[in-house]
Amino acid sequence: MGWADNLKRSLLVKGGVHPPASKLAAGVKISDGPKPKRVLIPLSQHVGAACEPLVEKGDRVLLGQKIGDSDSYISAPVHSSVSGEVTSIQRFPHPSGRDVLTVEISSDGEDAPAPGLGPAPDPLSMEPGEIRRRVREGGIVGLGGAVFPTHVKLSPPSDRPIEAVIVNGAECEPFLTGDYRLMLERGQDIIHGARIIRRAVGAERIIIAIEQTGPKAIAAMREAVPDDGIEVFILPGIYPQGAEKTLVKTVLGREVPSGGLPMDVGAIVDNVGTCAAISELFLTGMPLTRRIVTVAGDGVAGRANLEVRIGTVVREVIDFCGGLSGDPGKVILGGPMMGLAQYTMDVPVTKATGGILVFKKGSVFCEEPGHFSCIRCGRCVRRCPMNLRPYLLGSYSDAGMWDHLEDLYINDCMECGSCAYICPTKNPLVQLIKVGKEGFNRRKRKMEALAEKASEEAEEKENAGKTA
Amino acid sequence: MPTVGKWDDSAVSPHLHERGQTIERAMLDVLIALMPAAVWAVIVFGFQAFVVMVVSVATAMLTELVMRWILGRKATLHDLSAVLTGLLLAFLLPVATPLWVVAIGSFIAVAVGKELFGGLGKNIFNPALFGRIAIMISPLFIYTTKFVKPFWWRGIGFFTPIQAFIENEGGQRIVYKTIAGTPLDAVSHATPLSLIQNGRIVVDTTTGATPVGATWLTSTGAPGHHSLFLGLRSGSIGEVSVLLLLLGGLYLIYRRTIDWRIPVGVLGGALLLFVVEWEQPLYQMLAGGLFLGAFYMATDWVTSPVTRRGKWIYAVGIGVCIGLVRLHTPWPEGVAISILTWNVLTVAIDRYTARARFGAVKKPLFNRIPPVTGSSRQTE
Repeated sequence: MGWADNLKRSLLVKGGVHPPASKLAAGVKISDGPKPKRVLIPLSQHVGAACEPLVEKGDRVLLGQKIGDSDSYISAPVHSSVSGEVTSIQRFPHPSGRDVLTVEISSDGEDAPAPGLGPAPDPLSMEPGEIRRRVREGGIVGLGGAVFPTHVKLSPPSDRPIEAVIVNGAECEPFLTGDYRLMLERGQDIIHGARIIRRAVGAERIIIAIEQTGPKAIAAMREAVPDDGIEVFILPGIYPQGAEKTLVKTVLGREVPSGGLPMDVGAIVDNVGTCAAISELFLTGMPLTRRIVTVAGDGVAGRANLEVRIGTVVREVIDFCGGLSGDPGKVILGGPMMGLAQYTMDVPVTKATGGILVFKKGSVFCEEPGHFSCIRCGRCVRRCPMNLRPYLLGSYSDAGMWDHLEDLYINDCMECGSCAYICPTKNPLVQLIKVGKEGFNRRKRKMEALAEKASEEAEEKENAGKTA
Repeated sequence: MPTVGKWDDSAVSPHLHERGQTIERAMLDVLIALMPAAVWAVIVFGFQAFVVMVVSVATAMLTELVMRWILGRKATLHDLSAVLTGLLLAFLLPVATPLWVVAIGSFIAVAVGKELFGGLGKNIFNPALFGRIAIMISPLFIYTTKFVKPFWWRGIGFFTPIQAFIENEGGQRIVYKTIAGTPLDAVSHATPLSLIQNGRIVVDTTTGATPVGATWLTSTGAPGHHSLFLGLRSGSIGEVSVLLLLLGGLYLIYRRTIDWRIPVGVLGGALLLFVVEWEQPLYQMLAGGLFLGAFYMATDWVTSPVTRRGKWIYAVGIGVCIGLVRLHTPWPEGVAISILTWNVLTVAIDRYTARARFGAVKKPLFNRIPPVTGSSRQTE
């Protein structure tokens, strides 16, 4: 890779920032996480409708047993990650900051598997519908952090032909190394999973997209790739390269329409972790009950890439890695750019948890933001991958001018944080935009409801006039 | 339940910010870039130039402190913006400007030009230019019309202060005197641009180039191109040395504090007009405050467009305006008024040059923004 290649790649992407990679755990092999005595499995770990519990307090559950499901299309069931007894079903703290209905299970340590779980025969010649059904039953969601139910992605309508399956190995968030390790250690699984996806959507190409900052992963995947329409695509090392729309733009040169999905431009994007999970589901029958979590930061003694059972309490994972070192200032689930800071360490690892980062008090990650004081340097405008104007979104949100936010396409914002990262005045732009979205969408719903009510009233009047 | 973080402002992502890029750093960069020109100004115009700068900066800082206290805002002297405004205003004034006029200009620049608009970031006009124009369109104008020769202090004394008196005999007239009583008329001189404006001179390009140390005027009475480039000429305190302003400007571009598009656009736009009308383009480019304006005033973050296309429109617009003012109006110089004019247009430029929305099916050349409906502020 010469400088000319790098230049060409960097020209592919408009916007984006270069946070220091800080991939502290890049050299640490994936290992098994703690064996928890007790797991907390939230019934909402995905985008879409929350699940209803299928078990009751006192029930015995087995490893891989479905314990929550929903009738909604956009939803995914949840499974027990241990065998043991359901001790309670109540609201517990959730990484999102809300309290969420959660199944608490005390483990018997036996890991007795649920009956009926077994390898699927020949998934590569299976009917697409059957693949989707199994993926849904397996509780597979996007493991890159967005946790969108995968079976929905695998069901493009017939007027949306899928040309390429893009396997997302960008992992542009600093610190996180789970996907990187996965590509180094389980390349075959990723490719097997990608082939199952390709079969389900009827695509021809598989493109494995990896950032140029991970040459080892590129080499490993190139080695693992057999020659049947599977390619490795090298991405520029820019944040947020792993964001779905940015990725499709870089790889295929097409822009996903606002409010649309990659399937609108003939692509489907799945994270390498999701591919590996699908592969495991079809090879062993085990649904999504574990995920790879990177533990790092100066506030935790060890650093690791752990395969953690979903529902393990974060505190237990931190203790497993040697415990806290020093006074913790912030515990972040996910990466430092988009991750969620926690107010307690008693939240469980969910399907969305790609990293547990602990930072000491006083570290750069624990800085207090300033008040909104934009000086119009314009960096945020040039760096925004969605071509938005964050400084105006911030001003209008700060002033509560919700109506103006529509013209600025506030709902296009994916909250990647590039604007706030680059801001010389340290404006809390993402927070303001979140507030703005809330205000704008609430007002929009209200206006729509008012308009509906008005039209109903007018209709009633008309009808009343007719009868009289 | 033990608490590890606070579920408040600090808990919202991103938890990481770029290091080393702050307002303070940007302001400091501009101040560093202006230092060579400031030192040169003191060499050329004597200790009085230093006094003018100090008075201007001190007044700006004091004004900001007091204004923010009155308006109930947090003190922000540490962001150095008041220092920069003060220094830039001093750069725009002739060295013989009475100190009380300097102080008034600096006060207006910060109090009205910046704080009354809402403080740094919300001002429409470049504060320093605002202060300069405020003096220009007021009765104080008369105090800023006298320019002295470079090295006027030779033989009189480096530390000689200058004082101004108004004489009312036979019409209002301003007279400058040194503290020793010597009238300064003996050392005053027209600026290169006013010479050209009056149609008195044509630069002698063959003999025009005079080396430093030799006489700085050409045979026709105007400074030669080399004198203009190096800064051996009369003029406002900070505008005289194109070379040093250019060096500072390149530093700012290297530091990415300013966007290269703006100085290139301003200089290019002005050059375009001078070349099209063939009005001694090189002389026009080097004379006056063109470089000071292009690198340090038009590039102000707050008052220039944020989009790249917008920056080009704004910068070339300023350049062309400067040319038009210089060539087709009675004023010899047009940098300040051109930049202030385009400052006003900045918001509109930003509005129409925003990049098309990601994923837009049709990408219009200019952003068509629907008129805003409804009240401007809704609480619900």
